[in-house]
Amino acid sequence: MRTLALLALACSIGSLWPLRADAQKPVTLLNVSYDPTRELYQEVNQAFATAWKAKTGQTVTIRMSHGGSGKQARSVIDGLEADVVTLALAYDIDEIGTRGGLIPANWQTRLPDNSTPYTSTIVLLVRKGNPKRIKDWPDLVRTGVSVITPNPKTSGGARWNYLAAWAWALKQPGGDAAKAKAFVTSLYKNVPVLDAGARGSTTTFVERGIGDVLIAWENEALLAIKELGPDKFEIVFPSLSILAEPPVTVIDKVAKRKGTAALANAYLEFLYTPEGQELAAKHFYRPRNAAVAAKYARQFPRLSLITIDQVFGGWTKAQKTHFADGGVFDQIYASR
Amino acid sequence: MSRPISGLAAWGIALLWGTLPSSGAAQQDTARPLAERLERLEQQVRILSRLQELAADSAREAARTRTLVTVGSDGFTLRSADGNWRLRVGGYFQADGRYYLKDREALGTSSLIIRRARPIVEGTVFHYFDFRIMPDFGTGQPTIYEAYLEARLDPALAIRAGKFKPPVGLERLQSATDLRFVERGFPTNLVPNRDVGFMTSGDLSGGLLSYAVGLFNGVADLGFGDVDGSDAKELAARLFTQPFILQGRRAPADLGFGISGSLGKERGNLTVPATSMLRTPGQVTAFRYRSNGTAAGTTLEDGTRARLEPQAYLYRGSFGFLAQYTISRHTVRRDTSAAVRIRHQAWQIAASFFLTGERASFRSLTPKRVFDPRAGTWGALELAARIQETSVAEAAFPYFADPAVSSQRIRAWTVGLNWHLARNLKLMIDYERATFLGGAATGDRPPENFLATRLQTAF
Repeated sequence: MRTLALLALACSIGSLWPLRADAQKPVTLLNVSYDPTRELYQEVNQAFATAWKAKTGQTVTIRMSHGGSGKQARSVIDGLEADVVTLALAYDIDEIGTRGGLIPANWQTRLPDNSTPYTSTIVLLVRKGNPKRIKDWPDLVRTGVSVITPNPKTSGGARWNYLAAWAWALKQPGGDAAKAKAFVTSLYKNVPVLDAGARGSTTTFVERGIGDVLIAWENEALLAIKELGPDKFEIVFPSLSILAEPPVTVIDKVAKRKGTAALANAYLEFLYTPEGQELAAKHFYRPRNAAVAAKYARQFPRLSLITIDQVFGGWTKAQKTHFADGGVFDQIYASR
Repeated sequence: MSRPISGLAAWGIALLWGTLPSSGAAQQDTARPLAERLERLEQQVRILSRLQELAADSAREAARTRTLVTVGSDGFTLRSADGNWRLRVGGYFQADGRYYLKDREALGTSSLIIRRARPIVEGTVFHYFDFRIMPDFGTGQPTIYEAYLEARLDPALAIRAGKFKPPVGLERLQSATDLRFVERGFPTNLVPNRDVGFMTSGDLSGGLLSYAVGLFNGVADLGFGDVDGSDAKELAARLFTQPFILQGRRAPADLGFGISGSLGKERGNLTVPATSMLRTPGQVTAFRYRSNGTAAGTTLEDGTRARLEPQAYLYRGSFGFLAQYTISRHTVRRDTSAAVRIRHQAWQIAASFFLTGERASFRSLTPKRVFDPRAGTWGALELAARIQETSVAEAAFPYFADPAVSSQRIRAWTVGLNWHLARNLKLMIDYERATFLGGAATGDRPPENFLATRLQTAF
């Protein structure tokens, strides 16, 4: 009996040996993200790698891929081997599930807050002194005002921008879909350049000096002021904007095949930790954690925000109506 | 010297002076719209410049992901921008005329034939893996001539599986479109044509040394197999060196030499005796083992079959030279006789020369001046000549082969003229004379005087 027990113990240790050996092996994750998250994930990746090394002894390297959210989703569907995606909007991740079959339909229920560890909103960035006196959305359709925003066909941020403008028009007294369409059509008539992603639009506005106002993620606008100084730009918070929820998920099929599923889950869960939330706030994303949000309350003024579900019936419907081929955006842009 | 101001000009100046602002404030009023206009123009320039940047980005992105389609002398090719995926559709077609001159005994039948009609579909999947499918519709017998998959893991290591040319005969390994004569020489009659198997091959030291080793079902000399008639298999291998290859175009010559061979066992049966035969330059059978469908009257391959071929080529300037010496040893038996080893052998020495100055090569060539009568250019002309011989050991006669119908030896000489109109179009004419030892009821089979023509297109 004792011999049998010893044999069983030896077998157990033997069977664990490869796992331990694997755990020590350096591993690489690929995070496919949208345009303006470069600075955020640079710091998150470093912090997570340090925490993971301390916890497991394993060295982890996280590679990043950035681009327009819709374009990034298509790359993953086409075979880019992402362990995780951190995209600008849920519809793009839905596409990875429905078209690529790489994640289950309930992916958004797997992490807290609809798998959105931080939020943001859409604001207006203008040049210092606000020479065109832009105060709110209607100022963007005035003659002589040049507006910079990216292409909603390729950029998630651009879709949030578009929907925020549409929602404002809809919420005006007597507002309806026709008036909202007319308003957004006028707005896009003032757009001289459509970049593929939000970071490209920031470059157009900030570095190339084009346009009078940039419709931007709040985090991107705050970053521009931090990087270039408050003497160059200022933020205009519109009377109404949209709650932008950029979600995250593990790409199950890829992570399973690469054997990185546990690590990828831990990486995304790290975003919800106080440390991860601090980093999000530091990089101008609105944190979900109440304590961290309270600490950064001065950075994020309270705004009147609508949600995609309230006004547009969710992303699937909004996408089909506005951004699908032949949708409202195509009609608007073709009529320019 | 100053010129006097005319009265009219003076009035004009006075009028203009009167319209100019008379104070600093008024000057500022004028300057403001000018500054705004300048700012607008500057914005326009920046917008145009940014649009140009974005267009360039889009063009770069499109080039990165665009599928390249090319149509040209290499056929129709689709290629992904990263080169990992490729599909080529090509092929070649050869229409021959065969004329047996002074053929009083009607040993050959003069005719026009479609010698080869081979569409080729080949490609690359996932960067490392190539495939090729080549059927042949020539001579009225549609068949899959080649079909294989190859993993190119490294220049020094490729693994191929399927149906293809075993690495034995030098001229067999030369593409049918690059031959200097309408028909290959006698040594090719003693090596496999196509066989099913797998092979490892590669180039070492930048091609200085090439190797190939493969295991095949095993086929008779000049044989072509899809399935195996016995459990026995055949090993084939080749070592080949090109000592000047690293010097590129500064090399004194394109010299290659090596040795190849095969070793295996074969067990023939009454339906498929698996024995070999010899053909004349005009593709008429001049030697065959006895076969009448009965055990007593049929010679079978039964035991070891071994081939060995030293081989070499030399191309220098417009001159080309190719030589092979092939030995093929067979173990045969008939009825209840003991198995006997019979040696077949063949050699050829072939030379070619471009009258129009092209650089000769083992592979295809592009004429310096393609055929274009309006421009006064006529393509490339190439002269070719060869001598060759093939024989079967005396031990084959008379028990295993009938000396009244099978020759023991064939000697032949050939002269030819090739007109390369373009890389894809070639006309050939050969005259061959073959003499025989034995092969007739009395004495020798009459000499064969064979005229062959070919029209070839390849793409």
